[in-house]
Amino acid sequence: MARSTSKDAQALFQSLRSAYAATPTNLKIIDLYVVFAVLTAAIQIVYMAIVGSFPFNSFLSGVLSCIGTAVLAVCLRIQVNKDNKEFKDLPPERAFADFVLCNLVLHLVIMNFLG
Amino acid sequence: MSKLVHLLGFVTLNVFLLPFLCKSFSPETPTDRRVLVLLDDLAIQSSHSLFFKSLQSRGFDLDFKLAYDPKISLQRYGQYLYDALILFSPTIEGFGGSIDQAAILDFVDSGHDLIIGADANASDLIREIATECGVDFDEDSNALVIDHTSYAVSDTEGDHTLIASDDFINSNVILGSKKIEAPVLFQGIGHTINPTSSLVLKVLSASPSAYSANPKSKLSSPPSLTGSAISLVSIVQARNNARVLISGSLSIFSNRFFRSGVQKAGSAIKHEKSGNEQFLTELSKWVFHERGHLKAVNVRHHKVGEADEPAVYRINDDLEYSIDIYEWSGTSWEPYVADDVQLQFYMMSPYVLKTLSTDQKGHYFTSFKVPDVYGVFQFKVEYNRLGYTSLSLSKQIPVRPFRHNEYERFIPAAYPYYGAAFSMMAGFFVFTAIYLYNK
Repeated sequence: MARSTSKDAQALFQSLRSAYAATPTNLKIIDLYVVFAVLTAAIQIVYMAIVGSFPFNSFLSGVLSCIGTAVLAVCLRIQVNKDNKEFKDLPPERAFADFVLCNLVLHLVIMNFLG
Repeated sequence: MSKLVHLLGFVTLNVFLLPFLCKSFSPETPTDRRVLVLLDDLAIQSSHSLFFKSLQSRGFDLDFKLAYDPKISLQRYGQYLYDALILFSPTIEGFGGSIDQAAILDFVDSGHDLIIGADANASDLIREIATECGVDFDEDSNALVIDHTSYAVSDTEGDHTLIASDDFINSNVILGSKKIEAPVLFQGIGHTINPTSSLVLKVLSASPSAYSANPKSKLSSPPSLTGSAISLVSIVQARNNARVLISGSLSIFSNRFFRSGVQKAGSAIKHEKSGNEQFLTELSKWVFHERGHLKAVNVRHHKVGEADEPAVYRINDDLEYSIDIYEWSGTSWEPYVADDVQLQFYMMSPYVLKTLSTDQKGHYFTSFKVPDVYGVFQFKVEYNRLGYTSLSLSKQIPVRPFRHNEYERFIPAAYPYYGAAFSMMAGFFVFTAIYLYNK
């Protein structure tokens, strides 16, 4: 069994980038959106670790709004991906409408819980 | 018709007066007290007159009756005629009239006071009443308390049944603040306190060298009652604050003992006057509630900065509690001063336990923060001190959580979270726009 080196890691990363370059633009936009949401959640968790958990409901709603957004975005990505045969009969417009509706419900709940 | 109206008026008047006709010691009507004295022999009235005079001079209305008088009764039409009963009839086998053991115990159970003077040859009836009160007299009916080391020195050698005892209970409320210097002369039977009764106290104990036996016969077996387990005079304060004094000697109350000088064996000091008068006067003041009877009034609580008593508190409210405690002095209610009155804020267990501050004028107060727990709480003051009537107050008060609109809003520390939530919403719009127009 060959030992793994940094060259292997680089080769792996290169192949990942080249494969990702072929991804359709609309999926790339969703990916960017997910990264934005997850980063915002991470920042809040760090902030909570420093400042303390005092308005805990606010912390929960802030973090959960980010995570909820990310989850909904991932769901949208699964449904609009052409390579995904499972949702081949679902039109992308329908998937997007679902996404919008779920987001409305999510943010309504978040606003209630934010305090 | 007008007769009927009169009758109705009379009946209504009686209904209103009934509570005031009741004669037990109550904080509302503590004066004008009547005492029934039951005697074996009317001669006791004169031979023990100093004791009776001290009671009469303090405003008690003594009603002397022979114990076997067929007309005596403690109550009429369900109302007690007397506030207290003195049994100076040690040999009586059965009372006259409607009085019996059960009637006397009912009398005490309804909050009235009792003094029992037993003596040598005390009857079974007196012994049983004492047993019901929690003290057991020596079962040997010929036994007397004998003490060969702390007897009272007299001209004749005697059989050492005349004891000079100075082993008093250490309590200012029971025996008064003035120390009793001279020993108390005692001649009579000893008793022990029932160990299961926590309400009985030994006021005058025998010395460690005392024992209870028949002085006329030779001691063949060890005496059953010995040493300071023997109580000469005991008191009981029942849970309803009725007070009972039980003495194993009737002559302890007599003029002869009151006036007699006393010299304890082995002591060089000869007292001109025995301690009996001071001891029994002070003790009778305690028994008849002239000392150590507390009442609590003006229980108030409110939020800090407000005057009205709320129906409910919120968690974390700051509140103030105050109470006035008075002690009956025989003529008036005097402020009670102590530094150990405690308040509990209680729900299953005390969440707050605070010692109340006092202004030395009977006013007790404190302030504290309601705990961060909601539920039905009680303000409790449980004050049980030796010799004092027990104070047990509780007042229920609910504690509610914050209302929905009482929570803090726009907390500076939470601004990042607000920002994140709103940026997610803004991000949603931006994402939607880019996603839709990207084609």
